[in-house]
Amino acid sequence: MEAFLRYILRWPSLEHFIQAYAWVWPLAEVMHFVGLALLIGTVGLFDLRLLGVGKGLAVAPVRRLLPWGVFGFVLSVVSGSLFVGGLWANIAVHPYDVLIVNGYLQTKLIFIGLAGLNLLAFYLTGMSRAVDAVGPGEDAPPLAKAIAGVSLFLWFGVIYVGRLIVWGNLALGG
Amino acid sequence: MEFLALIEQSSLAVWLRESPTVFAYATVLAVHTFGLALVVGLSTAVALRALGFAPGMALLPLGSLFPLMWVGFWLNAFTGVLLVTIDARLFLTMPTFYLKLLAIALAITSLRWLQTEVFEGRAPNGGVSAKGKRLAGATLLFWLVAITAGRVTAYDAYIGWETAAAVLVLGTLLLVGGHVGARMLRGSTRLERRTMSASRAAADM
Repeated sequence: MEAFLRYILRWPSLEHFIQAYAWVWPLAEVMHFVGLALLIGTVGLFDLRLLGVGKGLAVAPVRRLLPWGVFGFVLSVVSGSLFVGGLWANIAVHPYDVLIVNGYLQTKLIFIGLAGLNLLAFYLTGMSRAVDAVGPGEDAPPLAKAIAGVSLFLWFGVIYVGRLIVWGNLALGG
Repeated sequence: MEFLALIEQSSLAVWLRESPTVFAYATVLAVHTFGLALVVGLSTAVALRALGFAPGMALLPLGSLFPLMWVGFWLNAFTGVLLVTIDARLFLTMPTFYLKLLAIALAITSLRWLQTEVFEGRAPNGGVSAKGKRLAGATLLFWLVAITAGRVTAYDAYIGWETAAAVLVLGTLLLVGGHVGARMLRGSTRLERRTMSASRAAADM
């Protein structure tokens, strides 16, 4: 398992690319932030509406903004994968070593996974369909509110622990 | 310069910079990112709606999001000042940092004008005026400049300019690609609709 992860987590071609062009890493950082803003701006807006902020909005049309959130998520995953796969080019540490010792990175990945499960729950509990009927000024069902609250907590949590990663153990000693 | 050094030596700056706890520097930086998510994220959603995306979404209720955006803005003004004190000589002598501040000022100005144009102007149930759309586009563009400039303060100036060029190229590619992709999708659905109505007409006969 370790050998397999060590093999797939380091991308030599990406490392060369990052080493050859100084702008690659900061470009990925910009993508990560733009992606974050798009995700929180649209998914967060949807969650806020379910929780009762901007209650004058019917819920169903707010969904039409969510593809922008998916786009933001893709930007963040692509740039985030670059940080992992090309880590060696930046700090000469194997990403696997960071992954097994850095609690913040682990928490971030777990939170993203939980956000995925939360989204799955949104569909499986029928809330996804139920909220489409929520019109202007109306309250979303309590379960939908709970799922929206969990979503907001998890995404802001992802931002928080994400920021802490470089303060965590980066396996620089070994 | 001596004054800036004095700021860096203040007990607050020293604590923020050197305290081993993550509740100092790291948390201030994280809160700065929360603020970014609120003000840039929510204003982006409003700007996208003003530009014509999610047309079914009512405009006026979006006005209630503005207080949250201002919370994000002031959160970042506050944490931003704290972050500057940590490395005052570096930030306050760096052109890129002033470019970031200028871009933020312009983004906030266009956002305020957009707010007035869309939410306090006349024709509450009409669409968004051409001026409103221009302001929405300007807001998005200035945020992109602000984020890029903010990010590259951590690098040498030449890397900053290279990165800006790369952001411009990638942004243009995504914009053109998205536009073409959307047209192709819309084109195909229009074709489907035409074929469907043709077959329905044939069935009616």
